[in-house]
Amino acid sequence: MKFAVYLPPKAETGKCPALYWLSGLTCTEQNFISKSGYHQSASEHGLVVIAPDTSPRGCNIKGEDESWDFGTGAGFYVDATEDPWKTNYRMYSYVTEELPQLINANFPVDPQRMSIFGHSMGGHGALICALKNPGKYKSVSAFAPICNPVLCPWGKKAFSGYLGTDQSKWKAYDATHLVKSYPGSQLDILIDQGKDDQFLLDGQLLPDNFIAACTEKKIPVVFRLQEGYDHSYYFIATFITDHIRHHAKYLNA
Amino acid sequence: MEEESGEELGLDRSTPKDFHFYHMDLYDSEDRLHLFPEENTRMRKVVQAEMANESRGAGDGKAQRDLQEEVDELVHLYGLEDDHELGDEFVDENIPRTGVSEYPPYMMKRRDPAREQRDWRLSGEAAEAEDLGFGGWGSAGQCQDLREAYRYTHGRASEEYECYVIPEEEDEEEAADVFCVTCKTPIRAFQKVFDEHKEHEVIPLNEALESAKDEIHKNMYKLEKQIIEMENFANHLEEVFITVEDAVAMADRLGKFLKTKTDVEISAQPEFEDQTLDFSDVEQLMGSINTIPAPSAPVINPQVPNSATGSSVRVCWSLYSDDTVESYQLSYRPVQDSSPGTDQAEFTVTVKETYCSVTNLVPNTQYEFWVTAHNRAGPSPSSERAVYMTAPSPPIIKTKEIRSCEEAVLICWESGNLNPVDSYTVELTQAESPEASGVTESVVGIPTCESVVQLQPGRSYIIYVRALNMGGPSVRSEPATVHTIGSYFRLNKDTCHPWLTISEDGLTAVRSERRTPARELSPSDTHFTRCVAVMGNLIPVRGHHYWEVEVDEHLDYRVGVAFADVRKQEDLGANCLSWCMRHTFASSRHKYEFLHNRTTPDIRITVPPKKIGILLDYEHSKLSFFNVDLSQHLYTFSCQLHEFVHPCFSLEKPGCLKVHNGISMPKHVTFY
Repeated sequence: MKFAVYLPPKAETGKCPALYWLSGLTCTEQNFISKSGYHQSASEHGLVVIAPDTSPRGCNIKGEDESWDFGTGAGFYVDATEDPWKTNYRMYSYVTEELPQLINANFPVDPQRMSIFGHSMGGHGALICALKNPGKYKSVSAFAPICNPVLCPWGKKAFSGYLGTDQSKWKAYDATHLVKSYPGSQLDILIDQGKDDQFLLDGQLLPDNFIAACTEKKIPVVFRLQEGYDHSYYFIATFITDHIRHHAKYLNA
Repeated sequence: MEEESGEELGLDRSTPKDFHFYHMDLYDSEDRLHLFPEENTRMRKVVQAEMANESRGAGDGKAQRDLQEEVDELVHLYGLEDDHELGDEFVDENIPRTGVSEYPPYMMKRRDPAREQRDWRLSGEAAEAEDLGFGGWGSAGQCQDLREAYRYTHGRASEEYECYVIPEEEDEEEAADVFCVTCKTPIRAFQKVFDEHKEHEVIPLNEALESAKDEIHKNMYKLEKQIIEMENFANHLEEVFITVEDAVAMADRLGKFLKTKTDVEISAQPEFEDQTLDFSDVEQLMGSINTIPAPSAPVINPQVPNSATGSSVRVCWSLYSDDTVESYQLSYRPVQDSSPGTDQAEFTVTVKETYCSVTNLVPNTQYEFWVTAHNRAGPSPSSERAVYMTAPSPPIIKTKEIRSCEEAVLICWESGNLNPVDSYTVELTQAESPEASGVTESVVGIPTCESVVQLQPGRSYIIYVRALNMGGPSVRSEPATVHTIGSYFRLNKDTCHPWLTISEDGLTAVRSERRTPARELSPSDTHFTRCVAVMGNLIPVRGHHYWEVEVDEHLDYRVGVAFADVRKQEDLGANCLSWCMRHTFASSRHKYEFLHNRTTPDIRITVPPKKIGILLDYEHSKLSFFNVDLSQHLYTFSCQLHEFVHPCFSLEKPGCLKVHNGISMPKHVTFY
């Protein structure tokens, strides 16, 4: 598995907090580090940024490259339970355990200070990692996340492939559902969504469901619908500074 | 004094070279004393010179006249018929000056004529004192002349004179060469042998000559001393007499008196050693005319700056003469203003000193003072009137209107005085350690009743104000305390929509239920008429300001900032002069807007804030809103703040909101 790491100048003299970025469908570990424009802000706040790949590659699993929204480049940050995926496609464990252990052992990071954010499928991944691990992450934020995969085409396709048909298993990886039963400490969630995002219009993202659930459960969310923006990295690049600041507030507190 | 006359006359052969003559205008012609019968003018002029001479004239002239008279007498006595001869002796420039004298007053040292004249002209100089004030007599030449004069006598010894009269040699063939002490006459040596002088003591002639010389010198010295006494007497006269007329009259009487007396002395073969001039009669005469007049007017001093208090001033004056004064009367009254009204009462204080502290006065008021000096003879004329001013009353700080931030404070106050003062001074000390006297900073010369003072963040200050006028500063006002933590402001009642009520402490706005429908309110520039809003008075200092607003979850409100001249007929956020966060609660749904120029981003907030933190950052041109309880950032405006803005608050439905001040910016806010 490949992953990208950004070390700020501050890392030369001491351990820094770690900010994990989860990319969306079809992305590799390269998209974020080359297109998002995060460097200046991360440098300013002294954060180590880690960007893993979106799925295992070259597993030689049949059908892994058939579609762009399932299989390669579309791990959905779940631990698959179905064959032939369950051996290799364990992105949830990778992101929450394996990778941090590797990073902590080999890079100047503070293991106690960790936050997570992502885009689209990665937004979904960030939300579920945070909601399933109360207290593990100091903060979470997302760009155009898939908020309610159980109810959207992408989610249905992926979950049925990785998790089977038991929808109860699906809810365990659905942010909207997880929020409803979230018992843990206060999270401060920042979500930016491009208003002109095609996928939003296509009903793939469903942020309203998530917001409604958060409102009811009094989970603090600030959701910003950004006029004129789409799903692309231009959108990410515009607001990445706000997100990094959002995390820095908690990581550097 | 006419110096020239001396020089002119000096060229005249008839006058002695060393006499200096001055025209006199004090004496009438018939009063002039005639000393030298044919040289009246000459002596008159000498006398005139003496009178004109500032301090010594009278005495000198008289002394000179005395001596002249005596010489005159001697001349007559010894058969010197030809006064002119005598005069010639005096005038002859070729007479060598022997210049030997042990008696300093004689000034026997060589002096050139020109210098003598010059010295003579200088009044009151030491030269004159030594010179006896009548130069000519002190010169060697004169003594020589006198000796010559004495030589004319024909060997007649006179014990009454106690001097040795050295006769001129009549016998050409046999000159006297020894001197008989017993007979006091020069004799020829061989005469000693004869019975007449046999037992007598004989000394060489030159010795006798020297002795005679010495005797004469001694007598001259005594005469001089008496002349000095006369001079002193004359000085005393000068001091006593005020007017020239008095001096003339007195001199006249004195002259007559002295003349009589002198005549008596000389005819009585005066004993020089024991001779003292008796002035007792003269003094009696003087006493009768010695009355003290009333004093001259004192001079009242201008007020010493900063010497007054609010109720008293210290008035000083001086007396620029030697008048006798027994007491002073200081009078004063408040300065009349132009409006005709009741005459102000006049007060008077009597003191012995030349100063007085006048109390029980009204603060910040001008009083005019004048003073008269008093003695037995009566009061002096009044001094000029001087205006003194009492210091003002202290100002009163408007503590409720103090606005501050972390870097400055804006204080305003009431003057505390009915009439204007010159300026105000603000004094501040840090209140950290009350017992230690810290440094007091002063801001002076403040023209109006408000001031912005720079401060350090995170401290407490105690502030006083003083008023200042020409009398000095007032005492300190009551103090006010300022904390430079966060920003402090109050809601401005002047801007308040009529449906809003502001609490006493200026921090709570309440909108009550209205039963009756409201009528349309006329537009206003000062208070809101459409938006039920109120503005706060934030200190007009850039940097950053942070405050918090407490609201009810279900309250419809707007909170934000606006320029002072925002249109009060419009809603907050409806124009480009205001920015605000708006919450509306309808159908169990919270709706949040961040309004500026009628536009808002689309923002959903899942947890309604109960306490909103607002950060105004002039430096970064930002206005940020936070959920204080969650440390959650809500939204940030980027705003062009070319002028100062004020916090504003609006209640769109009945309810209340409360402002919290003086809060240090929380850390999470610092990221924004």
